[in-house]
Amino acid sequence: MTTPTRPSLDDPNLTIPVDHAGIFEPIPMARTERQQEFYTLRDGEMLLNLGPQHPATHGVLRIVLKINGEQVVDLDPVIGYLHRGVEKLCENADYHQAICYTDPLEYIASLFCEWSPVMAFEKLLDVEVPRRAEYIRVLAGELNRIASHALYVGFFALDLGGITPILWAYLERDEIVEMLAALTGAKLLFNYFRIGGVNGDLSHDFMSRVGDWMSRAGRQVEAGTALLNENEILVRRARGIGVLDRETALRMAVTGPNLRASGIPWDVRRAHPYSVYPELEFDIPTRREGDSLARYLLRVDEVKQSLRIIDQCLHRLPDGPVMAKLPRLVRPRPGRAFAAIEGPRGMYATYAISDGTDQPFRMRIHDPSFIHLQLLGLLTPGNLIADTMAINASLDPVMGGVDK
Amino acid sequence: MDRALHARLETRFGELLLGPVRQRHDETEMRIGPGSVPEVLRALHDEPGLRFELLADLCGVDTGTDLQAVYHLWSETTGDWLRVVADGLPREAPRVPSITFLWKGAEWLEREAYDMFGIVFEGNRDLRRIYMPDDYTSFPLRKDFHLPDDASRSPGGGVRPMEQVGRPADATDETARRRSNAS
Repeated sequence: MTTPTRPSLDDPNLTIPVDHAGIFEPIPMARTERQQEFYTLRDGEMLLNLGPQHPATHGVLRIVLKINGEQVVDLDPVIGYLHRGVEKLCENADYHQAICYTDPLEYIASLFCEWSPVMAFEKLLDVEVPRRAEYIRVLAGELNRIASHALYVGFFALDLGGITPILWAYLERDEIVEMLAALTGAKLLFNYFRIGGVNGDLSHDFMSRVGDWMSRAGRQVEAGTALLNENEILVRRARGIGVLDRETALRMAVTGPNLRASGIPWDVRRAHPYSVYPELEFDIPTRREGDSLARYLLRVDEVKQSLRIIDQCLHRLPDGPVMAKLPRLVRPRPGRAFAAIEGPRGMYATYAISDGTDQPFRMRIHDPSFIHLQLLGLLTPGNLIADTMAINASLDPVMGGVDK
Repeated sequence: MDRALHARLETRFGELLLGPVRQRHDETEMRIGPGSVPEVLRALHDEPGLRFELLADLCGVDTGTDLQAVYHLWSETTGDWLRVVADGLPREAPRVPSITFLWKGAEWLEREAYDMFGIVFEGNRDLRRIYMPDDYTSFPLRKDFHLPDDASRSPGGGVRPMEQVGRPADATDETARRRSNAS
């Protein structure tokens, strides 16, 4: 018996099979029409794997790029590396437990992930939330929105090659996170909203931190973005790249800042008002360009509107309880409820079905990141490989939310 | 609740509806057969009095007996969310026409519903698994797919033992039923 020897590149008789030349993984068998089209390589085209462990993919995302030279011809995102089956877990937990499973979906905007299931369960139970609790929710939510947008700005610049903004963004975010920690007891996965209210009233520590921060937040936003808005490298690499027009945005079911950057002033807070947003004054910033730069600038405008909302909340905060009276074990009557909220990335929605037991019969979580990652395959073709990550960063998907 | 929308839907889609249009809170729900999905959704999307242009969500539901495809829509003509339920998809061969001709963005949502429930969306040009690996054979969100441990299935799971004393009398029967389902 002869022992097999490893082929050596010095061996003159070595031949590399043509269909494996340069590609170390066999091309998968095409199952669908789209795959057949994707894996048919024309002259000069090749496949390039990106991720799943890549620092610019904002999590565990793998992208198969079809490239021609330096230009991207087509791409196929491969997701599911973070899939935890949150919907199934929620269906096997009771209503209160289900809320904490939704926290880690979009770990940098956890409050919004809790908000829509909590609202859906309140609809199932016909609970009225005390007004003070609603104001606290809006207050904490808008702080979380600013923290999330701060990271967006930082990572957007980082993916375009700038290191400083991410360090500044983390400084800014850290202040907000400390505030929320004083309020909720946690820095990342807050688990603060409860069915019928919130877990605990405002604390003195939180209020003094917010007041202190609000007195200089506006100036800090200006200082932080002045670094980027007038940066020629950033502007030139973002302007006119990844243009999403109005009609396509609607056809792709896009929501949130990405939709508003394409010129549609659609915001759940105004389109389908919830909580105390109808009482608050704020604008819905929109832009018409629909490119990466517009998506970035729009988020900066949103931060300013969030500051306005926080200011009003602090001034109008009513007195009263922060929780409705509810039993520990809730059993809603059989029924269905759908609730949607506007988060930093778009519309977060929950569709819950009750069968009369203490566990949701079906809990569907709709996450905007999932929809926005789908856009990548539409916006990138025709651009350079380096712009793939820049466009991805401008769309702002969070893989925890994409994979559920 | 938008009463006018209720009337509009009943007159426009009269014979296509399975059962009456229902309303609760800020939601309006209509049930249709899977075959009439393209016709109904195109009408909802295009017609001037309806104009449901924004697809808020698309998901599958397992009712325990059969499957459903559920669409949530938003329109500026009404203050309600509209829920369109394509009802009565048989478990063995659930098939429903794709709506990617109206919303291309539904492509991944349909892939997800296929992955989780096995619902085949006819006309979706990329209907393959999205979360689970390609060689996976089960549909995890169906009700006959049980989690490996049933610790989470006990009523009051997570509630501290002291608080379980006052639990409802039917809890023990329910436990037994769930345990037998799980095994």
